[in-house]
Amino acid sequence: MAGTLLRQVRVIDPTTGTDQVQDVWMAGGRWSAIAPTLDIDPDDVDVIDGTGKVLAPGLVDLYSHSGEPGNEARETLAELMAGAIAGGFTRVGILPGTQPPLDNPGALRRLVDLACELDQLPQPLLLPWAALTQGAQGEQMTELAELAEIKSFAIAGLADGQPLTNRVLLRRLLEYTRSLNRPLALWPCDRTLAGNGIARDGSLALMGGLPGVLVAAETAALTTILELVRELDTPVHLMRISTARSVALIEQAKADGLPVTASTTWMHLLFSTEDALSYDPNLRLDPPLGNPTDQEALIAGVKTGIIDAIAIDHSPYAYEEKTVAFGDAPPGAIGLQLAFAALWERFVAPGTWTAVELLRALSDRPAQILQLPPPQIAERAAVEAFLFDPAATWTVDASTLRSPARNTPFYQRSLRGQVLQTWHYPGLP
Amino acid sequence: MAETRWNHRHILSLSRFTPTDYATVINTAVSFGEVLSRRNKKVPTLQGKVVTNLFFEPSTRTRSSFELAAKRLSADVLNFAPGSSSLTKGETILDTAKTYLAMGADIMIIRHAATGVPHAIAAELDRLNTGVGVLNAGDGQHEHPSQALLDLLTLCTVLNPEKPSIDLLKGKKIAIVGDIIHSRVARSNLWSLAACGAAVHVAGPPTLLPADFVKGFQRSPIDPPGLPRQLVQHTSLDAALDGADFVMTLRLQRERMTQHLLPSLREYHRQFGLSHQRVQICAPDVKILHPAPVNRGVEITSELMDDPERSLIGQQVTSGVATRMALLYLIGTGGQSAADIVQ
Repeated sequence: MAGTLLRQVRVIDPTTGTDQVQDVWMAGGRWSAIAPTLDIDPDDVDVIDGTGKVLAPGLVDLYSHSGEPGNEARETLAELMAGAIAGGFTRVGILPGTQPPLDNPGALRRLVDLACELDQLPQPLLLPWAALTQGAQGEQMTELAELAEIKSFAIAGLADGQPLTNRVLLRRLLEYTRSLNRPLALWPCDRTLAGNGIARDGSLALMGGLPGVLVAAETAALTTILELVRELDTPVHLMRISTARSVALIEQAKADGLPVTASTTWMHLLFSTEDALSYDPNLRLDPPLGNPTDQEALIAGVKTGIIDAIAIDHSPYAYEEKTVAFGDAPPGAIGLQLAFAALWERFVAPGTWTAVELLRALSDRPAQILQLPPPQIAERAAVEAFLFDPAATWTVDASTLRSPARNTPFYQRSLRGQVLQTWHYPGLP
Repeated sequence: MAETRWNHRHILSLSRFTPTDYATVINTAVSFGEVLSRRNKKVPTLQGKVVTNLFFEPSTRTRSSFELAAKRLSADVLNFAPGSSSLTKGETILDTAKTYLAMGADIMIIRHAATGVPHAIAAELDRLNTGVGVLNAGDGQHEHPSQALLDLLTLCTVLNPEKPSIDLLKGKKIAIVGDIIHSRVARSNLWSLAACGAAVHVAGPPTLLPADFVKGFQRSPIDPPGLPRQLVQHTSLDAALDGADFVMTLRLQRERMTQHLLPSLREYHRQFGLSHQRVQICAPDVKILHPAPVNRGVEITSELMDDPERSLIGQQVTSGVATRMALLYLIGTGGQSAADIVQ
């Protein structure tokens, strides 16, 4: 006998709805045995005392940004991957807005090769999104059929990660990609209506002197997509949902049987316009943080499943890029290393969500949206999981962050809950 | 002058100012106003202190007013102007602030075209435990506290030149009209005037005064449960002017025409421009304020602006120096040695 035995650990598996204390034995990269108590000679295995700790399937991030290639000063791929593992993520979708952009099969393969050449272990599986349009510029389609031939563990799906403003192109994309049967992700955002806004419109933004973005900048684009899906029947994943009205529209669309799924980001669940009035450039996001009613609707949407998944939308920036006025800052924040702990502390610890609900939105559902088998804690399955200590506290700073990027409101703050270890054996069949 | 209690290291916004804070500023400014009426207008209050004007956005009037105020207090003044800066060469806003910190700055007066920059610099200075005070001299379309406080001094002085006091504002109707949404002056004034008990009525075209604009100003986190703030929003000018004791109008930037906010300057002037005829429905002795510079013939007619019976624009400028002396003094000394200063 060999391997590792986790004694009396709280096992949470959203694929089965499991949340119970178990003995878990892993060997050879697989779960060998899971039972309330296992009779294994502790001299034969490494034993980890799991008391008070959580064992959960690896987290799956739908979409994030990589600095490499093109902006390695923000964050290299190695740093992104180290941060992901340190945060419990075993699969990370990478948006195509790198330099050069991921808009051809060679660019996607190069990114995956870059990751494979790194010797750090364990590694998260990188899933590049192939751009829908050349350069993700929203003008001319990429060679979508060829991109869709890439095997499913080397591509997340098709997405620009940018709003598509040309509605004719949007229609044609929905028609053209339908038979490709690949995940298609769209960000509902009307740039014209959003204008120069940097905060969600409302009395808080008005009081705080931040130009507002109407809710309609999101919902006008969302309804366009939903009405096109209603006619063309192409499944669509809706990215970066940030308003209460959008949650209501998606609920209706799902009730009508439209093939749509939706995600918000972890930052939109944790913060609102009230927080943006600190003018911390790390709270400058696109779409902007919602008003408190939007935030409440998103939190409820995750609980009910109307919002299927929580994306991290990890966006590293160099210090000098973010140390500017709130409105001048490029939107986005880092999050792969921080999100699970912050969400657990805020929503699971007080009982707003169950642990299963959080993991459903961060592991099971995003894997399904990517048309991949979700990681599971089940006998004979490959080990893809992480151990989390909800009680550990740590300080987010240069010595603990795996990323050189510091653009997070949690920087130099204390965080409760820490991922202790992540396991991932992607080579196993 | 009695010892004052002052617990604001920075003046970034008036949203958390109490009536006591306003009274302190007014009383201190009145004392400095007396200093300014003497032959020797200089006091040694801030001798040896370094006051820095960090004006990332070009400004002449406000900067001059702060510079004069600092010099009257015997401070050494450093001016930073964007034209000669290295901001375009990759320097961050914090680098600029830290450069002046290294020169020994005690107070930083900051203006920036973007909202929140003085807050960000103040947060960094606090994180470094520098003890340096930051005075917001206008950030984006957010706030301009010193302008609102000099407006307050102007109003209190008009109401009782012998003994100006914020209590005189109770029950007065003050109209603020024009391009409210883009105005940092309006936002700071909404906080200060309502906190002092005035009934504040705002009016402007719907594109420049969105519905529910005043909602965010109805309550400050520091308000005691019983303090009612009287803020009313109108879409027509006459409703705001009706019976008003004071009218404050705001500069209309001409580029609003190209942003689909207004059809024409002519229509704006017809709807919201102030003239002798329009202000007839105000109180008989109504006075007009404007933060300057004025677009003559747009938000106000030249005749009304130049009418010494009505216009307080000149007095606002005079109040500016005394008010800014008070603010620099309060930040620079914490209000500790008031008695020595004005003697």
